[in-house]
Formats: sequence, structure tokens, C-alpha cells
Amino acid sequence: MPRRREPRPAPALELKTTRLAGIQVILNSAEHAALDTHISTLFAATPDFFGGEPAVFECGRLPADAPSPDWGWLAQELKSRGLNPFAVQNASAELAASARQAGLLVLNDVAPAPAIVAAEAAPAPEPEPVAEPASAAEPAAEPAAASATRIIDKPLRSGQRVYAAGGDIVVLAAVNPGAEVIADGSIHVYAPLKGKALAGARGDTSARIFTTYLEAELVSIAGVYRTFETAPDAAVAKKPAQIRLADTSQIVIEPL
Amino acid sequence: MTTIITVTSGKGGVGKTTTSASIASGLALRGFKTAVIDFDVGLRNLDLIMGCERRVVYDFVNVIQGDANLHQALIKDKHCDNLFVLPASQTRDKDALTEEGVEKVLKELEHQGFDYIVCDSPAGIEHGAVMALTFADEAIVVTNPEVSSVRDSDRILGIIQSKSRRAIEGREPVKEHLLVTRYSPKRAHEGEMLTYTDIQELLRIPLLGVIPESEAVLQASNQGIPAIHQKGTPVADAYQDAIARFLGEEHPLRFVEYEKPGLIKRLFGGK
Ligand SMILES: Nc1ncnc2c1ncn2[C@@H]1O[C@H](COP(=O)(O)OP(=O)(O)OP(=O)(O)O)[C@@H](O)[C@H]1O
Ligand SMILES: [Mg+2]
Repeated sequence: MPRRREPRPAPALELKTTRLAGIQVILNSAEHAALDTHISTLFAATPDFFGGEPAVFECGRLPADAPSPDWGWLAQELKSRGLNPFAVQNASAELAASARQAGLLVLNDVAPAPAIVAAEAAPAPEPEPVAEPASAAEPAAEPAAASATRIIDKPLRSGQRVYAAGGDIVVLAAVNPGAEVIADGSIHVYAPLKGKALAGARGDTSARIFTTYLEAELVSIAGVYRTFETAPDAAVAKKPAQIRLADTSQIVIEPL
Repeated sequence: MTTIITVTSGKGGVGKTTTSASIASGLALRGFKTAVIDFDVGLRNLDLIMGCERRVVYDFVNVIQGDANLHQALIKDKHCDNLFVLPASQTRDKDALTEEGVEKVLKELEHQGFDYIVCDSPAGIEHGAVMALTFADEAIVVTNPEVSSVRDSDRILGIIQSKSRRAIEGREPVKEHLLVTRYSPKRAHEGEMLTYTDIQELLRIPLLGVIPESEAVLQASNQGIPAIHQKGTPVADAYQDAIARFLGEEHPLRFVEYEKPGLIKRLFGGK
């Protein structure tokens, strides 16, 4: 019997840096009732929208004298909606202490992740319809310079995610439902875009998304997102389209 | 040279075991020495479909753990001389499948001169399914004409492209084949189900075949005879066509067009 060729064993453990792409949950209020109502309305139309993404609580907008939110409850609420909060950032010493006690990490001055606004400043305003609108982005501390371009030439399949750090991404094959393309710069998909596309992931509001066939589950630019519970305009649905931000807060979808 | 074929899907109940049994039998009927392995540890289905459940003494996990040798555990098929079944264990959990253990068994089958090893994957994307695809040379992705099945197939294709040995070692990628099963031309025609072209457009891998929905499959599995042996049925013919295409022959698709029943049929019934 010929001897088996042993593959060279990989070390049991390797360390590499990673830049986690996740969601920023911006707290404008620490008040239980306001948070509760807003979470319910925010997620009502798209309860399965997030697929277990990591999330960070951004505390920078909370008033200085804000009491600590009930972190455990808040994390659980978001978890049950597919977001996995694991840390707080820009928290006062007091908030940081309570967050730590609730098992959250305390980050400071990290590069902002795509933002969603979790609670309007109390008292909660009219609940907005959720499918359409987008939420305001945190101005980026320092949008990364777009230099490196990543090129993907195989289909991106459900469950796959690619991230172009500090640059654009060009995808030459289909982005299927359940797949995610993320770039700090712009996203170009020369094929059907049926998954999620998040451009300007570190806050670059001039980033754009281009595709030859728009049928996305979600598009986002610098944290301002739009889902497609209601189909996009007939002029762009399943057609070549460009997606950009107007006035830094409004997603615009135009025929290409 | 041995070729390892993994039959997988992500979603459960789409026809992987039915397909594994028929593809393995079809290859054996063509003269290839073939083994079919049940990776669905804990459930055990393949031996029923192959009609050898009463002859199971040792199983895949016994061989992995060294309680039995391969020779003792392989069950010779009733219908084909050069086909052997390696059944799953019903009493263990999926963790009993270690990567080294699976590799050892596959290597040994290779040394015994098997031409094809067909791996019947469990549903899901967890350990058992990953073990079944780790050593694949080719993958048959079984998909039903419904959105959730297509989505799961897409997912499993991504996993093949990241977790197979071929992918990890940067060798030539696993060769992927799409097999649409439980296809009803009528329901596809009426828009109740996806058409096979819809499915292929999304998954973008070569189409190996379309197996029609048929009661013959249930009858076959109750009798413990793989559907490919049900001579003259569309299901058997469609599996034969798939084998032929797998071996590089060209055959037009059959059983995919919906024909409205003509007047005679409507008057006198019949299928
Ligand atoms: N072409 C077909 N026409 C009709 N019924 C079919 C067909 N193929 C499979 N079935 C039926 O579908 C059911 C599931 O089939 P099978 O056990 O092969 O699926 P599976 O993918 O192996 O399931 P699991 O994920 O549980 O392992 C069985 O009842 C089988 O008889
Ligand atoms: Mg099965």
C-alpha cells in the first residue's frame, strides 16, 4: 500500500488582524419606553433583515447626564431581530462601567461602522414608515482614502460577504440574495445585484453603487439605507441603475 | 483514479438520498466500481432506500473508530455487482465524523480500486454536511423548484467554494453540477413553481438534469429499490440521462415541457 501523503499540518492557532464590518446602533435616548417603541417600529416591516451582524452601541449622542440604558434588555431586543451587539463606543465612564457589567466591550474612537439610528431623541416622534427611509449617518471621522480596488469575478452566494477596505469593489458576477458586498468606496456590479450592497461603509457620502441589473435586498451609502419591501421604480427595477446620496441623507436611485 | 462525488443541497428533504442511490446505481450499471456512503449520522436512510437495512452490522462510524474494518462494513448491493453501501450509524452523533477518520476511509476505498465514491450528505450546513463535501472532487447540488431550496443550494455552493479541500489547498475547484428534482412541468408552466431555467439563472452552474416529480419514487423507496431501476418510468430515464451527462455524453432534456392534455386523453383519462 502506498504511503499516504500527509498534508502539512496547519498550526492550531493563527492570529491575523481583521476589520469587522458591522452595524452602529446610535443611541439618542436611554429611556426604556422610547427605545422600546422605536425598536418595534424600526424593525416591524423587516424583522429578518439583519442576519446576525455584529453591532456596536454608539453613545456619543446621549446627553451627558443620561442614565444607563438597560443594556441587557437592549442587547436582547436587538439580538432577537438579528443584530448582535457586542460593544459600546464613545461612552461616558458611567455608561462604560454599566456596559462592562452587562458583558459588553468598551471601545473608544474606533472607525465608525455603518450607522442606524436606534432611537430618536425622546420624546419619540411620529413613527416613520420603515421600509423606505433611511437614517442619518454619523459624519465620518476620517473617510478612508479610496485607493485599493477589489475585483471579484465569481458569483457571491447566499451567506458570503466581501469587504473592500479603503477602496472600491468591482463585481463581475451575480450578487445573489443573501450575499453582501461592502466597500469603503463605491460598488460596481456588472451583473444582477440581488443581495445587499453597502457602499461608503466608513462614512464616505460620495460613494455610489452601480449595477447593470438592480434587484437588491438592500442598498446603503454611508449608513443611509433603503430596503425594497416596496419595489423600486419601474425605470430602475431589474435595470441598470445608479444609487447615490443626495444631501447626505437621501438615497437616490436613477437609471444608468 | 477515484472520483469522489458529493450529493448535497443545504435544504432537507429535497431528494439527496434518492439521488445518491440512483446515481451510485447508475454508475455501477455502467461498469464502474462504486461505493455510496451515508453521511447522515444519526438518521440512517440510505440503507432503506438501497434495500439493505437488514444486512447492516457495522457502519461508517465503526470503521472510523476502528471497531470494524471497511471490508466488514461494506454491504454489497443486491442489484449491481460492483456497488457497495457504507451505511450510517443511527446511534452516534455527527461529531463522530472526524476529518481524519473520513479521510482515512476514503483513502482506503481509493486503494481498493473504487472508481467512484458517492457521498450522501445530510441536510444543513453544519458539521455532517461539511464533512461530506470536504473531500469532494465533484458535487451534485440537488435543488427543488422553490425559492428556499434554491437559496440553500446557493449557500452550500459558497461553502463548497470555501471549505472543500480543493478550495483550501488552492487546487482546481470542485466541479459543480445542478440537479433539479421533484420537477413538475405543469406547475412550473403555471407559475406555481420556479422553472429549471430560473433556477439555473440564479445558481449559474451547469445543469446535470431535471428529475420529474413522480409517485414512482415513493414506491421505489418503499420497496428498497433505487428509482433508477424502475425501468420505463420518467424518473428512471431522467436519472439515466443525468448519468450519461455526468460521463460527458450529450442528451437533450426530457420531461421538462408541459403539454396540455389532448382531446383523447381528456376523454379517456390516463396520464
Ligand atoms: N422525483 C421525486 N418525485 C417524488 N418524490 C420524491 C422525488 N425525489 C424524492 N422524493 C421524495 O422526497 C422525500 C425526500 O427524499 P430524500 O430522502 O431522497 O431527500 P433527502 O434530501 O435525502 O432528505 P434529508 O435531507 O432528510 O436527507 C422522500 O419521501 C422521497 O420519496
Ligand atoms: Mg437523505
